[in-house]
Amino acid sequence: MPEIFVLAEHRQGQIRDITYEMLTKAREIAEKANLMLTAVILGKEVKEKAKTLAEYAKKVLVVEDAKLENFNSDAYQKVLVNLMKEYKPTLTLIGHTSYGIELAPRLAAALNMPLATDCIDLALEGDTLTVTRQMYGGKVNVNATLRKAESYMVTVRQAAFTTQKPVTPLNGEIIEKPSLLTEEITTKRFIQYILPPPGGVDITAAEKLVGIGRGIKDQSNIPLIEDFAKTIGAVLACSRPIVDKGWLPNDRQVGSSGKTVKPKLYIALGISGAFQHVLGMKNSDLIIAINKDPNAPIFSFSDYGVVEDLFKIIPSLKNKIYELKGQKA
Amino acid sequence: MEFKLNEEQQEIKRAVREFCEKEFTPELALEYDQKEEFPMALYKKAAQLGFTSMRIPTEYGGQGYGVLEECIVVEEMCRVDPGLGVAVSLGNLMVPDVLLQHGSEEQRERYIPPLAKGEKIAAAAFTEPEHGSDITRMNTTAVKSGNEWIINGDKQFITNAPIADTFIILCQTDPNAQPPHRGQSLFLAEKGMQGLDATKLHGKMGIKPCVTGSLSLSDLRVPETNLVGELNKGFYYALELFDGTRITVAAQAVGMAQGAFEKALNYAKTRKQFGQPIINFQAVSFKLAEMAMKIEAARLMTYKAAWLYDKEKPNAMATSMAKAYASRVAMEVTDEAIQIFGGYGYLADYHVERFHRSAKITEIYEGTSEIQKLTIINFLQKQA
Amino acid sequence: MDIVVCVKHVPETAEAELKIDASGKGIEKSGLVFYINEWDDYALEEAVRIKEKFGGTVTAITVGAEDSDSTLRKCLARGADKAIRLTDPKFAGSDGYATAKILYSVIKNLHYDLVLTGMQAGDDGYAMVGPILAEMLGIPHTTMAKKIELEAGVAKVNRELEGGLEEQLEIKLPALISVQTGINEPCYVSIMGIRKAMQKEINVMTLADTGLSEADMGETGSWLKIEKLYVPPAEKQTEFLKGTPDEVAAKVAEILKARGFI
Repeated sequence: MPEIFVLAEHRQGQIRDITYEMLTKAREIAEKANLMLTAVILGKEVKEKAKTLAEYAKKVLVVEDAKLENFNSDAYQKVLVNLMKEYKPTLTLIGHTSYGIELAPRLAAALNMPLATDCIDLALEGDTLTVTRQMYGGKVNVNATLRKAESYMVTVRQAAFTTQKPVTPLNGEIIEKPSLLTEEITTKRFIQYILPPPGGVDITAAEKLVGIGRGIKDQSNIPLIEDFAKTIGAVLACSRPIVDKGWLPNDRQVGSSGKTVKPKLYIALGISGAFQHVLGMKNSDLIIAINKDPNAPIFSFSDYGVVEDLFKIIPSLKNKIYELKGQKA
Repeated sequence: MEFKLNEEQQEIKRAVREFCEKEFTPELALEYDQKEEFPMALYKKAAQLGFTSMRIPTEYGGQGYGVLEECIVVEEMCRVDPGLGVAVSLGNLMVPDVLLQHGSEEQRERYIPPLAKGEKIAAAAFTEPEHGSDITRMNTTAVKSGNEWIINGDKQFITNAPIADTFIILCQTDPNAQPPHRGQSLFLAEKGMQGLDATKLHGKMGIKPCVTGSLSLSDLRVPETNLVGELNKGFYYALELFDGTRITVAAQAVGMAQGAFEKALNYAKTRKQFGQPIINFQAVSFKLAEMAMKIEAARLMTYKAAWLYDKEKPNAMATSMAKAYASRVAMEVTDEAIQIFGGYGYLADYHVERFHRSAKITEIYEGTSEIQKLTIINFLQKQA
Repeated sequence: MDIVVCVKHVPETAEAELKIDASGKGIEKSGLVFYINEWDDYALEEAVRIKEKFGGTVTAITVGAEDSDSTLRKCLARGADKAIRLTDPKFAGSDGYATAKILYSVIKNLHYDLVLTGMQAGDDGYAMVGPILAEMLGIPHTTMAKKIELEAGVAKVNRELEGGLEEQLEIKLPALISVQTGINEPCYVSIMGIRKAMQKEINVMTLADTGLSEADMGETGSWLKIEKLYVPPAEKQTEFLKGTPDEVAAKVAEILKARGFI
């Protein structure tokens, strides 16, 4: 029976959410196309985790080896090339994460297997694989087909799919496979994790956040926004470019490479809404976005949108808030 | 005949545009406009990238280009913001030029490199309370005493006066010369010298980040080695300077017009009235077409004057035509830009009224438009 | 330390209004400003800084039309020593895979200790050219680098993971590293740089110079074929607040009050 492979992603003992999101989508595809749903997990001692995966998959391939203790794309590639040559999965799903970005393109090239990256949707009809992905920072969606092949690979964007546990666990068969790694991988070596420096502020704990992005234009404008945030008791957060420029420390960053937040209020100022940022804040209770660009993707995720220069709104908004509070500005 | 910037000039344009668009933010521009303060940090950054020393030869720390390349830089700076653009591009005005033409090697080596690198600021003191366009007679005098000159007098409307490190001062050295301008000389002075006092002028209409002031010179003693060039030639040196700097004023005007035009064009595309973008109304779109035409004409005249200066010799008529025309265009285009913005255009934080306020100076300084027209008619009569 | 840095000339779209073109498979490019891909800008800066520290050369290479020269000129002005532009009408429609093949055909003949790329391009967002190129070149690679330290024969790289976490790896040289934004602070182009750049040539190569066949590139040589572009549907029904800035500010304040935030 032809199969779908879903590569489980785990770090520091935790299976990452993307794994279940992919398994959920893969289940739907497998049912439709009558494919075996197979989860694949590589690691040092991962048999226990395989049991959890078995609830979501019809089969779990487990490869244990001390050399697989930490993610290393070169080691993964060696193991996966063998497994994929053996099982010839019709479709392999890998997360479009820091691990998947490191692994998938090179693995696909090694196997000469068509790959579509960063997909937010996919459909397999007959032997045609159609994917949906985004271009231009999320401003445009693209439907694309992959070159006809026996096997396809897709990397899946985080949070593109919502995890749904099967109503009854699938109780997949757990099969142990040898890694076939004979020697240490020397081309690439994991040294250590580097934790973010302990910050003074925990934005994940804040009830109200004011997020700033590129539209803030200059570091010298930050005090103005900070001042505004104070009037509503909100904490200042930001999107990636602000941290890249060194205007705020990275403990303020919301998004896939920063923190995931779920405050009661999120006011996005001058944030275009690249998916990496949206991923970190779209589940906020109330989202208000102010941006000059009417086509900024952030407006697709907001409850209220204001198309205007934020510097025209903020001073006035601050005054109105003071008025409503019955205070003087 | 070529109507295209060469590849190098296009690269220069791109580089300065990128710098200005990232650094001259509208908020910063507004802040400096309101504070009437020189943007020192921006000036130093621009100088380090070579944008403020286009015409200074490389051996003195400059870039070794001509007036045309300088115009490209000035135009781009003023396009992004008139105030910051003028202030940054005039940080070392005139002193390097005059020293390159007439200074001693010692003066050049001492004064030009720090100005080229943006470490120092320059000011050129010609205008006096009673002598604006007419500098044929100076009330400021320099009298020889031993191996020093003693300078007394007042200078008015001096760009950079309150912040400058290096000054050139036009003085009457021979009070009996006939005509009087044959008795004028230029002297170098430095900040901190006793008897040199600068006062900042407030309340200018535009180009507010470009600080202006008056100088009070009271028994200012400068060594005789500070005389620039020959004694009693100062007036002629000053006129020569204007041949180059007037073209860059035309470039300021073109940049300001272009900046305001682009803002108006964008606004007209997005602002909706009666259910459609206002650019769909001919009353607006014709304005925009006219603005574009005028800017193009002004730019061509400016580039031509610069080209003549660089490739042949300074052509006072072409220069005066470019300056008078471009500065008028700047006034008209920035005015229409505000009109297209309507009520919003009248507000500071829509960043267009600043262009209009600033454009006015281009019709005044470095010779008013009336003076330019006199120059033009003089030439026309000679030709006839 | 000889470094090859792969760059791409892309439209600036973060603040531009995009329109899908008549074919439905691309966007209208007229009116857009093109510049060096943001990630590549950081890769270039990193390459130049490494060269300044260790000596050697930096070669910038791109696959693109003639207008990519402005991006290559920028690379030269910022400190690259050589520039190569791969241009051929047959290259059009290439995805990340086909682009990697084209780059490989030239880079394999260059001397390099390090190949740097941006982590992804701001237009197509594939994030695949670097690792595929590394596979073709047969050299180690890593991606999303936030810090690169070179030691004898190896590079120590901090790469970005999720949630503010990073990992430190060591990879053997020669290697390919794709860089993430924020790894450094890219410089502006200076006039001095432009003057130097004007004395350097851009080496233009075409299909004939690559040794590849037409089938290797364009749509036929790609993994992915674009069928249709469209504007993404909104996830939420956004209510747009309209009026003058003052009126809008008042509306926002009312909403905040009604929800109990004031």
